[in-house]
Amino acid sequence: MDLSILFVQIITGLAYGMLLFMIAAGLTIIFGLLSVVNLAHGALFMIGGYFTFTFINQHLNFWLALLISVILLAILGMLIERFLLNRMYGKELEQVLLTFGLIFIFTDLVKWIWGSSPKSISIPPLLDASLTIGVVTFPVYRLFVVVVGCAVALLLWYIESRTRIGAIVRAGVDDRHMLSSLGINFKLVFAGVFAFGAGMAGLSGGLGAPILGLYSGMDNDVLILSLVIVVIGGLKTWKGAFIGAILVGMVDTLGQVWFPSFSMVLIFALMVFILLIKPSGLFGKGVDA
Amino acid sequence: MKKMIFPAAIAVLLLILPVMLTSYGIKLTAEVFIMSIFVLSLGLITGYAGLVSLGHAAFFGIGAYTIALLGKFVPNTFVLLASAIIFAALIALLTGFLFIRSSGAYFLMITLAFSQMLYAVAYKLKGVTGGSDGMSVAASLDFGFGPISGSMGLYYVMAVSVMICYVLLRMFINSPAGKAIIGVKENESRMRALGYSVRSYKLLAYTISGGIAGYAGGLYAFYNYFVSPDTLNWNFSGQVLVMIIIGGVGTLFGPPIGAAVFVILQNYISSYTERWPMIMGVIFVAFVLYGRGGIANLLLLAWRKISRRQKEINSPALNSSEKISKDETKGVTEA
Repeated sequence: MDLSILFVQIITGLAYGMLLFMIAAGLTIIFGLLSVVNLAHGALFMIGGYFTFTFINQHLNFWLALLISVILLAILGMLIERFLLNRMYGKELEQVLLTFGLIFIFTDLVKWIWGSSPKSISIPPLLDASLTIGVVTFPVYRLFVVVVGCAVALLLWYIESRTRIGAIVRAGVDDRHMLSSLGINFKLVFAGVFAFGAGMAGLSGGLGAPILGLYSGMDNDVLILSLVIVVIGGLKTWKGAFIGAILVGMVDTLGQVWFPSFSMVLIFALMVFILLIKPSGLFGKGVDA
Repeated sequence: MKKMIFPAAIAVLLLILPVMLTSYGIKLTAEVFIMSIFVLSLGLITGYAGLVSLGHAAFFGIGAYTIALLGKFVPNTFVLLASAIIFAALIALLTGFLFIRSSGAYFLMITLAFSQMLYAVAYKLKGVTGGSDGMSVAASLDFGFGPISGSMGLYYVMAVSVMICYVLLRMFINSPAGKAIIGVKENESRMRALGYSVRSYKLLAYTISGGIAGYAGGLYAFYNYFVSPDTLNWNFSGQVLVMIIIGGVGTLFGPPIGAAVFVILQNYISSYTERWPMIMGVIFVAFVLYGRGGIANLLLLAWRKISRRQKEINSPALNSSEKISKDETKGVTEA
């Protein structure tokens, strides 16, 4: 394979990995504090993409459209947590049914509002270029997505280790009951964390739309890969999700180049391999979650 | 003897039901039976072993594809169905060995990933499985007295199958192994302390469950004459989990009720509007919020209430310990 094509594939894989990271990180943060597997997270990603598409069609520029979508998704997440999920804590099966029901509702709403034909968003003009270094040409937008992904990781690290909110969330992950007995408004924290996760899914959806396009079933694709990432990285740790997302993004992208029929099998083989060595995932602490 | 009246009545009802149904109703009920078998298999691990799987369609699909692929070469129904069961159970044993180390959300995600991998394989291997177009089933259902293809014949095969599965599962749950599995769900560390090999019991339940799901998939291949990758999709697994929750977790008669409600609702709503997924979704969400643990549990509650009232009517001075404890609060307020 040509070296320059390989480089482009690596950037593509990394960019895809970063999009998946933003979803998977939201999933693990929500799981860590709320103990909820939000199956509707892929649907939130999809809605983020379609919102961005709609606002761009209303002649807003890409960045403003993206910002509004993220805010709307965060509000949607807050509503879901406050009115539905908050009655389901500790009831695993009910959470599955609830979030599965939400997938039905959201995907059908998307089909109703936007139709089932695929849509696309053009790359914002500022970044619609390619950068040539030596013989290798990089698509700038994909590089940009990689940078955003890393920035999100840095932001998460900063919030987690340097801010009061991060400390509260960390304490909540370790002992949820302690949180309320310390006089912290845990309802607000829970809603905030869910809104944050939903917002990240929306950000990923909006950023990903110019690369991946918008189509029905896209929620499914990213949800499955995000869950695999969470399994590989370990539950309750967004750092694991970061490494897992890069691995899965690369294996999926390169796998589709070299073994187009078996990229999913490769990803699964990766997961089994990691589980055999470390049953709790790369960064996970206990097996029982 | 008295305990047998209710199941016997249901069996008789299932056998005479086709007389009252249209041909479409008969076909739909046969589908409900297949789903019931599948839901029963998942109900065994979810309701009794406490393993929430989002990838059980894998075993259903393995059963269905076994019939479709092997049916090209082997016409014998018994051999085909037996291979569907054995193959699905074998895969369940192998994957369960790896997956059952984890539990809770982790188990859910791993089983999901596994079934999606199988889905991707069936989808991409166009040469063998026909890819997204699926493949037709060449073999037909024949238990030694001519091929069964009419909806009435299929109905009775499925009805008898679901009853056999129900009875076998009932026997399994009442067996020492079944009791140990329930014990594991109730209190895993205590069972471990008592010397039970917790993992082996879970694996046993998972393997049996996989085999039964494979049987349901095999029946489905015969019923539908056609197998597509959708039988392996996680969406299907999710729907089956929903059926269990609607029916009632931790009961054996809940899952078939859930299957019936789900399949009939889906058919009914989708015949009226294209927006059926949304309506189904709203129903699920409403069910989670107000369902109180499934239809089976609601029925059980109602049944207990009725039978208690009956007892009170028959013998007002009855002093069973249960009655005292239940009426304690009432007595206090009256006093």
